[in-house]
Amino acid sequence: MTSEAIVLAAVLTFSVLGAAAAIFLRDVLNAIIAFAAFSFGIATVWVLLAAPDVALTEAAVGAGITTVFFLVTIAKTVRPGGERLFERIEWRSVAVVAILSGALLATVGSLPAVGAADAPVATSPVTEYYLDNAYSETGVKNAVTAVLAAYRGFDTFGEATVVISAGVAVLLVLRQEAYV
Amino acid sequence: MSGTDSDGVYVESTIIMTTVRVIAPFVFTFGLFVMFHGADSAGGGFQGGVLVAAAVLLLAFAFGIDSTRAWLAGPLTRTAVAGGGAAFAFIGLGAVALDGAFLEYVAYDFGSTGVKYGIELVELGIGAVVSGVLVGLFFSLASGDFTLPAGDAGDDEGDAATSGGEES
Repeated sequence: MTSEAIVLAAVLTFSVLGAAAAIFLRDVLNAIIAFAAFSFGIATVWVLLAAPDVALTEAAVGAGITTVFFLVTIAKTVRPGGERLFERIEWRSVAVVAILSGALLATVGSLPAVGAADAPVATSPVTEYYLDNAYSETGVKNAVTAVLAAYRGFDTFGEATVVISAGVAVLLVLRQEAYV
Repeated sequence: MSGTDSDGVYVESTIIMTTVRVIAPFVFTFGLFVMFHGADSAGGGFQGGVLVAAAVLLLAFAFGIDSTRAWLAGPLTRTAVAGGGAAFAFIGLGAVALDGAFLEYVAYDFGSTGVKYGIELVELGIGAVVSGVLVGLFFSLASGDFTLPAGDAGDDEGDAATSGGEES
């Protein structure tokens, strides 16, 4: 095993433990903190897989803002009483989760290896075009930004519209008359 | 965890206030950096906007949600949301007006760096939308109408509630 693989295995173990803790801890506050740890672990995985743009998003949204939103929300709810540390296990939920996880894990075998040169995304002519022309055509030094804001700018415009719509929808759901 | 007003969660702490006073300007600046510099390094409007919003949320946690909300009072946040979206749309439609396709930056004909500036303007617009929406979401959640119908609150430990709750 290379040192990179060892670090990746350690971070993945940390993430899985964080996810398990978020599921099984009974107190919602503990679960939220465990969920933030899980997000942070996944963000580190993205860094190790050389995807810093995704890592930044995961760290800022998953580990940061989402945690704060969860905290603000549970401050409005009632915490369950009792001294138990872990949640009671619902076997029907376990069955649903097992079926879903099994269906997802069954596809893992057909994925290409990490960094494989013959992966479909690496050999696609679209990828080749972006990597060959993005820097000269757009003048930016980050090919991800070139694709997001230039080649796929219309998609990004749709995403921005989704964000605005979400803000408006929350105002309606929470029955706020004024925005901030 | 008690209290129904939005400052019920607020605990005044010298340590938190001092830490946030030091950290928040750096978080805010880093957010702007990620937004501006997305064209040349990792990041962009979405990530930068989230970081800028995080700086505001830090202030709210340290100095109280209601006072931060009052400090931000006025049209600043909704202007950021609407203005960012409008800037994105106008940059796209401007290219159409100049006989290009939607968001075809080359149509503006600003020379070799024109496309890059177009991309950065769009990233700034996205950043304004994301930070504005997140700050608004936070304040809406903190002061939102969470009142439940009578009898629904606080009985999730009861045996009657668990047997009834399994149906749904």
